Amino acid sequence: MAPQETSTISNFTILPILLPPSPALSHPTKTTHTLYIRPNNPKIPTEADARSVFVVNVPVDATVAHLKGVFAHLSGGVVGRVEDVIFEDQSPIPSKNRTAIVDRKRKREEEQEDLAQSQELPCTWDRETRKSGGNAVVVFVDGRSMEGVLKSVRKLHKSKAYPLWGHGISSKVPALGSSRYAAHHALRYPDPRTLQRNVDAYMTAFNAGEMQRQREAKRLRNVPDEDGFVTVTKGGRVGPAKAEEAERMRAEAEERAKVRTGEGFYRFQVREMRKVEQGELVRQFEEDKKRVEGMRERRGRGGFRPET
Amino acid sequence: MSHIPSKRRKLDHETSHESDKIPKSPSNELDSDFDKDEALDLDAPATTAKQPQPHSHSQPKRTKDDDESALYAAGLYKSSMFKLQVDEMLAEVRPNYGKRFSGADDALRQLKSVIEAIEDREALSVSIVPSTKYAVLTLGQQVTDATKLLQKSHKVTIPFPDPRPDKNAAYKLAYARPSNINIVGSYTLKAMVKADSVLSIDMVIVMPESIFQEKDYLNYRYFYKRSYYLACIATGIQETLKEQFSLEFEHLNGNTLHPILVAKPKSNKEKSPSSYRINIIPAAPQNLFSESKLRPTKNAVRPKENTGTETTLPPTPFYNASLRSDANFEAYLKLLHSASKQSAGFVDACLLGRIWLRQRGFGSDVSEGGFGHFEWASFTALLLKGGGSKGHSVLSPGYSSYQTFKAIVQFLSTTDLASKPLIYESPDFSGIKSDVPVFYDGPRGQNILYKMTPWSYALLRDEAKASLDMLNDAAFDQFESTFILRTSQPLQRYDCILSLPVPAKAFDPPTCGHVSHATRFSHRLFDVLREGLSDRVKLIDLRSSKSSSWSTKSSGPTLPGQSLLVSVVFDPANIDRLVDHGPAAEEKKKAAKFQKFWGEKAELRRFKDGSILESLVWKPGSTYSIFQDIVSYLIKRHFDEEVSQGLRLIGESFEKSLPSSATSSKLFETLKQAYNIFEKNVKDLEGLPLQLRQLSAISPQLRNSSIDPPSFSPQRPLKTPADVLIQFEGSGRWPDDIVAIQRTKIAFLLKIGSLLQDADASITTRVGLENEDHKLQNCSFLDVIYESGAVFRLRIHNDREQTLLERMIKDKSTNPRTREEAVAASSLYKRTFIQLPLFNQSISTHCTRFPLLSPTIRLAKLWFDRHMLSGHVSEELIELIVASIFLQPYPWRAPSSVMTGFLRTLMFISRWDWRLVPLIVDFTGTMTSKDVSSINTRLEAWRKIDPGMNRTVLFAASNHDTTGVAFTDKGPSRVAAARMTALAVSAYKLVKDKGVELDQRSLFATSTADYDFVVHISPKFAADQRRKEASKHKFKNLEVQSEANLELVGYDPIQLYLSELEKLYANSIVFFHSEVSSSVIAGLWNPQHVVPRSFRVNMPYATKVSGDLEEGKIEIDKSAILLEIARLGGDMVSRIEVNR
Repeated sequence: MAPQETSTISNFTILPILLPPSPALSHPTKTTHTLYIRPNNPKIPTEADARSVFVVNVPVDATVAHLKGVFAHLSGGVVGRVEDVIFEDQSPIPSKNRTAIVDRKRKREEEQEDLAQSQELPCTWDRETRKSGGNAVVVFVDGRSMEGVLKSVRKLHKSKAYPLWGHGISSKVPALGSSRYAAHHALRYPDPRTLQRNVDAYMTAFNAGEMQRQREAKRLRNVPDEDGFVTVTKGGRVGPAKAEEAERMRAEAEERAKVRTGEGFYRFQVREMRKVEQGELVRQFEEDKKRVEGMRERRGRGGFRPET
Repeated sequence: MSHIPSKRRKLDHETSHESDKIPKSPSNELDSDFDKDEALDLDAPATTAKQPQPHSHSQPKRTKDDDESALYAAGLYKSSMFKLQVDEMLAEVRPNYGKRFSGADDALRQLKSVIEAIEDREALSVSIVPSTKYAVLTLGQQVTDATKLLQKSHKVTIPFPDPRPDKNAAYKLAYARPSNINIVGSYTLKAMVKADSVLSIDMVIVMPESIFQEKDYLNYRYFYKRSYYLACIATGIQETLKEQFSLEFEHLNGNTLHPILVAKPKSNKEKSPSSYRINIIPAAPQNLFSESKLRPTKNAVRPKENTGTETTLPPTPFYNASLRSDANFEAYLKLLHSASKQSAGFVDACLLGRIWLRQRGFGSDVSEGGFGHFEWASFTALLLKGGGSKGHSVLSPGYSSYQTFKAIVQFLSTTDLASKPLIYESPDFSGIKSDVPVFYDGPRGQNILYKMTPWSYALLRDEAKASLDMLNDAAFDQFESTFILRTSQPLQRYDCILSLPVPAKAFDPPTCGHVSHATRFSHRLFDVLREGLSDRVKLIDLRSSKSSSWSTKSSGPTLPGQSLLVSVVFDPANIDRLVDHGPAAEEKKKAAKFQKFWGEKAELRRFKDGSILESLVWKPGSTYSIFQDIVSYLIKRHFDEEVSQGLRLIGESFEKSLPSSATSSKLFETLKQAYNIFEKNVKDLEGLPLQLRQLSAISPQLRNSSIDPPSFSPQRPLKTPADVLIQFEGSGRWPDDIVAIQRTKIAFLLKIGSLLQDADASITTRVGLENEDHKLQNCSFLDVIYESGAVFRLRIHNDREQTLLERMIKDKSTNPRTREEAVAASSLYKRTFIQLPLFNQSISTHCTRFPLLSPTIRLAKLWFDRHMLSGHVSEELIELIVASIFLQPYPWRAPSSVMTGFLRTLMFISRWDWRLVPLIVDFTGTMTSKDVSSINTRLEAWRKIDPGMNRTVLFAASNHDTTGVAFTDKGPSRVAAARMTALAVSAYKLVKDKGVELDQRSLFATSTADYDFVVHISPKFAADQRRKEASKHKFKNLEVQSEANLELVGYDPIQLYLSELEKLYANSIVFFHSEVSSSVIAGLWNPQHVVPRSFRVNMPYATKVSGDLEEGKIEIDKSAILLEIARLGGDMVSRIEVNR
């Protein structure tokens, strides 16, 4: 794969995308958005790496449909080559139209995920935005489709037939603008029953987890570790000392000590007190001097001149 | 000391000239002292232009005796900080005498020799009285001759005072060599202050006794002779020194009896325009006229018609004192000198006093109140010698300069010299009560306060009282307000300023004694206003225009159409009272007086308590309209229609620029009542899972401080729900996990909602979600919508959150990202759940205490909003700033109008050096200097940790929040804070430059020119458009029919759009937006991100390839981002304007 010099930047291939003009902005020339793509090569490899592409600098309004559209254009108009798109920082709730990349082999796992899903609060947006300059991974159905796409990107720089952003998908995604915000406002107030069910589910799971942890802790209480130490944990017969309690006890003890000897009981105490006071005064003076000097420096000449 | 023979008709000239009437100041001492360089002492009081030596105590000491000076400073000064700043200031204001007055000595010597060489007026004497050696004119025939002659030969007009000399008088004008020439004033005392535009040296020319007669003190004769004498000097100087000096006449201190000659050195080419001028002042020999004849109770201007006995004649205090002061120049020079020898702090105390007075607009000039540095210095000098009870001195010579200064301020504030005149060493004279202050200096026989008016004295005492309070403030450093701030700026000092023309015709018969028509008018006006406005106002001040200098050729200063400025400070408690109660009908005398004063406006009324009183009823309206009604009625009644029509009122416009200014307080009150109902409903709920502890309001709408007052009706519910917190009694049943707590809150809110709905079916509730991206923060709220249209947004406060979050932050195993989240959540928690309830409480308490606080806060918020800063500067910060203006109003009193409150806020912001100085608001008045210094230390620590100010920029602490960042954590950023300051500086400058001509709209004009791009919101969505729709009057029946649309409560698409933009482009663009009025969102590109960088993944902004590909550099893709912004806004964006 010898990349063409003009179309790559530090092993990323440049993929310009034509942006639809906006009536709000008068631009003399057609504006493009630059995507940088390369075969996906994450630190922790997954099964799907061989057929996925890593895309950098995704537009903020990108959706799966948008990127599918772009790559359909690159595959010569053939739809369906892209299996899935995973955005950076994507909220853990998989959207409905998204199929998980991980092969789900066992049913139990799936059930757990469903449970987790209902614990999450309902989403308040009908269409999420991406971070500016963010990344995404585009998974293709097979490795060959991916190769084909990369190849056609390189050709693109000659033909200049860049894909148009959001072309032909306006019906597939919710519109931006006021309608999206209105929808958000409506989604912010979910049905109370859904909400209640959701909280219940979360609390059940949470309590189960707590129980699990407690059991674990209880078990640990009786098991010395390899050095022979037993970890002190919460939940014994006598509760562990509380920080506030300890603080209070200390203050009390100090108070008692003070009452016993008293301040200014001995002459040396008085002397010392006076000394401290004097020292404080001198310190204050020094500090003030520094501050005034700082003011003078900052304000420059005329800093202390009365306002005219 | 030989006395002047009192019965001498014509004083012998030759002998008196060289005689030793003032034995210790021989006429040639000026010369001799130029050569000597010895210290000034009593024996040579008139020494002058010596090379100045730096005062030993003038420079701030920066020596090593810190222990000593620290103790010293704390004892003798307010605090060490105060002393250090005073030292800095004194060093700064003291002019460099050597540089500033280079050449002054030569000039003075030159003038002296020229004046001494002026020939006695021979030319005249030849034709008229040939035998005398000097010019003599009998006034009757010769006054015209003299005038003509001087005019003809030298083009000098004699500056005779009004009334002009009578043609039939039988006394003579003459000129003879002066008996003495002296330099007096602050130049000799080295008590000058820079920044006084041009420094003047006072040169006193003592006229020889020979030209005067015994009776000259009567009927202006002395002043006519003096004027002629001055004209002769002018002639002489003009003849010989035309090249060196430009000459002008002026009235000394605006006293029309005291014309003087001002000589300005003409600048040589190599030097900048001269920095000093020389006042040539003719003076009388000290014992020319007897002191007892010129006491304030005597008459010295005899009316022309009757020549009755002296007892029946009204006294002419001003005339008398003017004459006495002419004879006292040297006497006061001696007095001040001995005082400066007696007390080491005297000169510095005078400097402090001088600065203090100037910052308050006082000066020796009659138009400046008649209390300037001369009066201050003689006041101090006299009080060093006496003035206390049993003749003890008020001041001790051992006082430090600050102590002396403070003692004088205290003396001024506590002693009323008008009702209890102070007589110093004049046992046979007891003053009279009057409304002008009297401090009669016996040995010199002069009331040193003779130029003051009742109003200027009242103002002086008011300032002194305020300053005394400041100096007694133990917690805060009041240096700036005492000396630096200019407190006399009319729009910040006064609530309302009336400008009215001085009528041409007189309203009362002319009195004798030198009182001009305009002065009489102002006195009369003051009396009328004081009686008519009574306790509605705290202060009335009158200012006429200052007299100017005039050329020696013209006959007098050109007077522009005279107008008078009457400035007033309101008493907010009484100013808008609609009914005035006068005396009861039975009190015949008082009632008659009342009726006479008020005319037809006075009416007899029976009140609810059965009393029958004379009363006045005014038309309801705004503060200003009531005030204007009263003032114009008073003027019409006591002067005439014409004067009242010339009346112009300044100050009202600020109040008017607030949205629904007239009804706002009612609207706030309505919401508060709705809140009380809500609180009661919640408290009455049964079946809550936990015991309710309290409900607390945290919304600006519930503390009278939102720009738009809350307005709601059944059909149009409250636009923005009012935030309320609910707290339950502590319980161990809350989960021990922050996310779980947030979820549990949802269940609680659902429960509260359904309980409320069960209790009252007309209530609608719904639970909403927030902070979706931040799991650790509060995630839910309950909107409670009443049938009346009031909407409250309830959130649950659980104090476990704080502990859990802190544990998370401290835990070392927490990953950095979660910790950051926890820190953000913790700061949000502290702000919303701990600070806001306290803050809300404080602000709303003080809004009740200060009726003007609420409108001022709202206007200040409007200012921030108009300048598109409302997204950056939190509402609470603005409220804190304005509250500080009310709670620590020094150098003024708490604002009593929106104008003063707002302009002082602007001034504060423009002067706030937030890098070094924290804002500290003491709501309860309980903070100590220790608290203050610990806050200062905290700020210093912040600056040390974060010198670039990336995290903490503004530091605003209060007695509730000593961390100082509760309301500034989220912004403004450094950029926004700098913009805030820049805007305030330019606004404040405009205020200063324009003065009373200020158009307040110019302060609120939005400018978008400074931004890189501007997103215009389409009119349908713009805030002001929607507001217009909301306020549109609908027919009542239509309104009833239409269903209230509860769905849209709290819906603000522009705000959602803006916060999404801010989230998406947090690093690369700073957005500015006005919530209230404007229909634009403006943006600035982060300059750090504009430069091309080498390629990397995870850039925080969209990029494109920059320049040559081979370099592998990328840069921010502005056009793509702008298109994204346009796409995101969709139908809400009408146009994006790119400026750069």
